Amino acid sequence: MSLFPPGIRRALRLPSSAERLTRELDDEVRFHLEARMSDLMSQGWSEAAARDEALRRFGDADDLRTYCQTIEVPQMRRMRFHEWWEGWLQDVRFGARQLSRSPGFFLVAALTLGLGIGASTSIFSVVRGVLLRPLPYPDADRIVQVWQLGAKGGQNQMSDRNFDDLRARSRSFAAMAEMVPSGPVTVSGIAEPVRTRASVVMGEFFDVLGVRPMMGRLFEPAELRENGTPAVLISYGFWQQSLGGAPDAVGRTMTFNNTAFTIVGIMPPSVRYPVDAELWIPRELSPKFESRTAHNFQVLARLAPGVSVEQASREVTDIARQLKTELGDQTNMVDVALVPLREQLVGGTRSTLLMLLAGSGVLLLIACANVVNLLIARMAGRQAEIALRAALGAGRARLAQQCLAESIILATAAAAFGIAFTFAGVKLLLMLQPGNLPRIQEVAIDGQVLGYAIAIAAFAAVVMGLLTAWRGGAGALRESLSQSQRTQGGNLSSERVRRGLVVAQVALAVVLLVAAGLFARSFAKVLGVDPGFGMEHRVVVDVSPGNGGPETARMYDELLARFRAIPGVLNAGGANVVPLGGGSTSNGTFLIMRSLDEPLRMEDVERLQRTPERIGSAEFRLASPGYFEAMGIKPERGRLFEERDVESAPHVAVISASLAKTRWPDENPIGKVIQFGNMDGNLTPFTIVGVVGDVRESSLASPPRPTFYASYRQRNRGTWRFNFVLSTAQDPTTIVNAARRVVRDVRPDMPPRIRTMETLVSASVADRRFILTLVGVFGAAALVLAALGIYSVISYLVAQRARELSIRVALGAQRGDVLRMVLRQGLWLAATGIVVGAVASYYATRLFESMLYGVTATDPAAFGVVMAGLAVVALVASWMPARRAARAQAMEVLRS
Amino acid sequence: MLRDANDLLHGTLDVLVLKTLSWAPMHGYSIARWIEERTRNELAIVDAALYKALHRLEADGAVAAEWGLSDNNRRAKYYSITTRGRQLLRADAATWRRYATAVARVLEAT
Repeated sequence: MSLFPPGIRRALRLPSSAERLTRELDDEVRFHLEARMSDLMSQGWSEAAARDEALRRFGDADDLRTYCQTIEVPQMRRMRFHEWWEGWLQDVRFGARQLSRSPGFFLVAALTLGLGIGASTSIFSVVRGVLLRPLPYPDADRIVQVWQLGAKGGQNQMSDRNFDDLRARSRSFAAMAEMVPSGPVTVSGIAEPVRTRASVVMGEFFDVLGVRPMMGRLFEPAELRENGTPAVLISYGFWQQSLGGAPDAVGRTMTFNNTAFTIVGIMPPSVRYPVDAELWIPRELSPKFESRTAHNFQVLARLAPGVSVEQASREVTDIARQLKTELGDQTNMVDVALVPLREQLVGGTRSTLLMLLAGSGVLLLIACANVVNLLIARMAGRQAEIALRAALGAGRARLAQQCLAESIILATAAAAFGIAFTFAGVKLLLMLQPGNLPRIQEVAIDGQVLGYAIAIAAFAAVVMGLLTAWRGGAGALRESLSQSQRTQGGNLSSERVRRGLVVAQVALAVVLLVAAGLFARSFAKVLGVDPGFGMEHRVVVDVSPGNGGPETARMYDELLARFRAIPGVLNAGGANVVPLGGGSTSNGTFLIMRSLDEPLRMEDVERLQRTPERIGSAEFRLASPGYFEAMGIKPERGRLFEERDVESAPHVAVISASLAKTRWPDENPIGKVIQFGNMDGNLTPFTIVGVVGDVRESSLASPPRPTFYASYRQRNRGTWRFNFVLSTAQDPTTIVNAARRVVRDVRPDMPPRIRTMETLVSASVADRRFILTLVGVFGAAALVLAALGIYSVISYLVAQRARELSIRVALGAQRGDVLRMVLRQGLWLAATGIVVGAVASYYATRLFESMLYGVTATDPAAFGVVMAGLAVVALVASWMPARRAARAQAMEVLRS
Repeated sequence: MLRDANDLLHGTLDVLVLKTLSWAPMHGYSIARWIEERTRNELAIVDAALYKALHRLEADGAVAAEWGLSDNNRRAKYYSITTRGRQLLRADAATWRRYATAVARVLEAT
């Protein structure tokens, strides 16, 4: 069968048509000349003279031919297009009539396909917003993030000194700036104290992004130097929400970190970078760090005009090598990596989103297969009509065009449903999304998203139309012409296609369900993990006074005392970083000292740092007395922090089991003396007094890290942000209000963020839940469609063989035999699909192995359950029609 | 109505052909003969021009064509006037009469 309906083929076959026109014209002219000659000859002219005279009177025949070509060829083309178009309109009208005769079928088919289109389009709208839509900065592809690389290849933030050298020596950048990602600050001095997020950036940061304030101005030189005038730029959102969009906002002051900042400008709504920034304050206000290993800053740069990322990368690599050669051990930067900003922002979510898009595509395919299946079955039921149309002169191609017209109508309705589903779907996705999806605010339904829906609907229409025409139409035609008297019709080849479609459906469903199974198992494993702390009956109170120190520590003392006095609170404690609660983590290298009074000079530090048996590395955390008890972290050895561990007492430390095991595998760590002053600038050594269990801090799925705890009473520099944990035996929400009142009484200008531990746990697995929910929904939909597919094919088969089956029964076959025979057919289809699907899954699941936790991509349990489950579903789906067949009364069937 | 010389010539033939076909459907040769007889061959129209006019009118939808058998049983292309052709003939005939009168008036005045 040709791909083109006849109208198109004829319209394209112009050269031969022009030939035909010429031939007809020649015939006409020949007739004219002969008629003229015979007239002349009857008047007595000789044949030769008559021919000459006729030709003379005729004039220029070639000219006539050219003339006719020029007017008639375009005319013919127009007419044929018109005819072709009329044919289509007629087919569409006819198709609409046909479909409206079975509205149930039409609705089911359009809804099935619409769901597939809607699912795929919804995911696409997220992909488009997050991955495809350009960043809201001019020439955004010229912006790169700059990372320093260590000897082991690890990516790290930059130190001031490394940044200064890099900036001074490089030529590849038009602008370059340090920045610190947004962190929480508590702002007062405006209508109501509010927790928000502030970013520290260099003045040049805005040149890198290429953005300007919509009101006010950027920072001025007086604000861009050490101890300069405190100034702040605010986001559009902050202006609207916290300042009520006041027109005189620029020039007002507000207080945070104990400093009054003047608002100098308001950024446009599109600028929210670093992620979630509401306030920007100049980095230049605070002093530079002298240490080359104080990796405190992220660096953003804009490439100079005409410089490619590769060229710039080569240059910064060279500079890093020079610096390493010149500075030796002073710097641990051996290379510099440039990562395009877009990649930096969305690179981590790309694989997840593309996997979900692929999943929705598989679902769409299953939906298409289902609809084609229905269409073919319907075609078989229309044999009489098709035979009649064929007898009346409709060619196969014309019948195919009819099929295509019907599937176009169907796809148009499906596209409409699909777009409606997309509006709901996107809303649902935005509700379900884990909250950490970058650029989620860019997700919207726009022309491109609608175009995507229409494109896949059009694609589905063509595929469905051609498949139906190929097997349904043509098959039915052949069949009806040869043996039109057979009752239920149907034929071998269209049956084979339908079975093939069911096998494909089952196989695709297996892939989706295995994926869902793997994510479900991962999710259960993550939740089943022992995190090393109590996940229930706890409330976390997050405060950020903005600056640490003895005063802050005293305020925390008071808060703790009051928290403990709340009725129902069993234990209360706090730490600068609590598991799953976020916070600014810090880690570093400590020195192991021989005794508390071993002298330590700068040159000793450098020498010791190169002596492996004298160093160790760990996360550095501050905690309060009562913290481990309140958090449910198990004590293992020695003691915990106590009230006697005050600033003037010897400084003590508690370490985690994994630190004890890795650093002192064969020794008792209790009593060891440690120098960790590089973390907070306090050179008082620590004595280890206790060992506690490991905790999973950043997420349930990440392994515990060796951790070192100091008491905030003894080391109070890092207390600018703190999380208190209150444990209770009752419902934790009952103590939230009391906790909030306590904070308000102690520091009215410091609104806390209070969450239950359950909320934190739930938020920490939000992205896993998101993936699981979507893949699970796709899998469930696939299962239903595949079951429907099996059911419809087996039902059809039974109906078709009703006569034969009832004769068998009449001739003595047991009903059980009939039942088994039909079931065998259904199970055979399902089994083929399941095996094909399992093999496909075996390869497909590897693509997302990195997203799994605790299960392999070929987890036998997930595969086994899905395969067995689908077999059961197939059994049920074929059992229903099989039972019908077995119960049928022979006489009824034969009479009907 | 403004017409250039070429239009005038085309228009002349068109109106003659349409007038001829208004009597009965005919093939090209009989149209030619019919016009020759009515004009006593004074216009001396080349046959090719006549056929150009026929094909132009066909493309225009003013005449329809169909292959049929001639009196002596030969295959010939028969032309007939359409409704659109009759409208055109009425309009063009009126224009031509006015035109001829105007030309005649000029010539007589000289």
